[in-house]
Amino acid sequence: MTTASTSPYKLASARDLFALTKPRVMSLVIFTAICGLMAAPGSIHPIIGFTAILAISLGAGASAALNQWYEHDIDAVMKRTAGRPLPAGRMDRETALHFGVGLSVFSVLLMGVAVNWLSAAILAFSIFFYAVIYTIWLKRSTPQNIVIGGAAGAFPPVIGWAAVTGDVTLMPVLLFAIIFFWTPPHFWALALFVNSDYSKAGIPMMPVVAGRKSTRRQIAGYSLILTACAVAPFAMGMTGAVYGVTAIVLSLAFTLLSFRVGVSRTENPSAMQAEKHLFKFSIVYLFALFAALVADRMIFA
Amino acid sequence: MSKIDSKNAAMTPEEQKAYQAKQKQRAAIMAGLLFFLVVLFYFITFVKINSSIS
Repeated sequence: MTTASTSPYKLASARDLFALTKPRVMSLVIFTAICGLMAAPGSIHPIIGFTAILAISLGAGASAALNQWYEHDIDAVMKRTAGRPLPAGRMDRETALHFGVGLSVFSVLLMGVAVNWLSAAILAFSIFFYAVIYTIWLKRSTPQNIVIGGAAGAFPPVIGWAAVTGDVTLMPVLLFAIIFFWTPPHFWALALFVNSDYSKAGIPMMPVVAGRKSTRRQIAGYSLILTACAVAPFAMGMTGAVYGVTAIVLSLAFTLLSFRVGVSRTENPSAMQAEKHLFKFSIVYLFALFAALVADRMIFA
Repeated sequence: MSKIDSKNAAMTPEEQKAYQAKQKQRAAIMAGLLFFLVVLFYFITFVKINSSIS
């Protein structure tokens, strides 16, 4: 016999449990995982492929739930996150923790049993990395939080690749590197124009700790490393011209927008057009680059 | 079987109705998810058996 909570506001609705998985962030995870899966040499049965993507999505949702369980205090003071189920008081922390842990275990077991144990191991490590290394350890202690934490978001294409091939070669490592080096310019561009919110929450985001000038210089620097990683698969003969041309054109645009941010001196967040353009373009950049990779594979395979 | 604890007295009929509606909605979604998983594992089993035979 169980005893239920009496408050109707503390019994989480299905909608709030779904919101806990950060569905918008998950869409990028699903997309890059599908691209990793489709770009890999070899074939996978559609049912197994679908199960692999489902497990990756559930793992990403679990990470997001654990992240919100731990960050309920800082979410409450930031305008962007104050409406989430935990800070808004529509769900208790215990529910979020149980949901996150349960979903993590289920996603890893599903991946291991239905696909293979290498992709399950990488999925388990990515959940651990995001929930423990990024959320609990790095986010509140170092301005490099986004750089190292970005690795968590870079795992999905590697998992997708490993689901098909059962191994990890140089190509999925480069896909990992692309997302890894894309993350700092993407998030720091956002952090520059929502700087006040991060300051209020006491998160040592780069613009808060090192200042805007240093952050802008680092954005420009990271865009060069990103370009090198994005063009590498073509330069090393691992992809065809479709990906190569797309990577060169997109990376050139990304670098130009990043250097525009690098030379910007605007202090007023609402006037930070260069930062806003870079943030919006960075999303298009990643989607288009990975779509080109899949198109390239379909054409040249 | 579950029961509402003693603090239930503080619940108004409207609150109780909203609580039960949420419970019902969650139960329906859980039933749907379980059914989906049964079907998914059924197909996964077929694929695994087929691949081990061939």
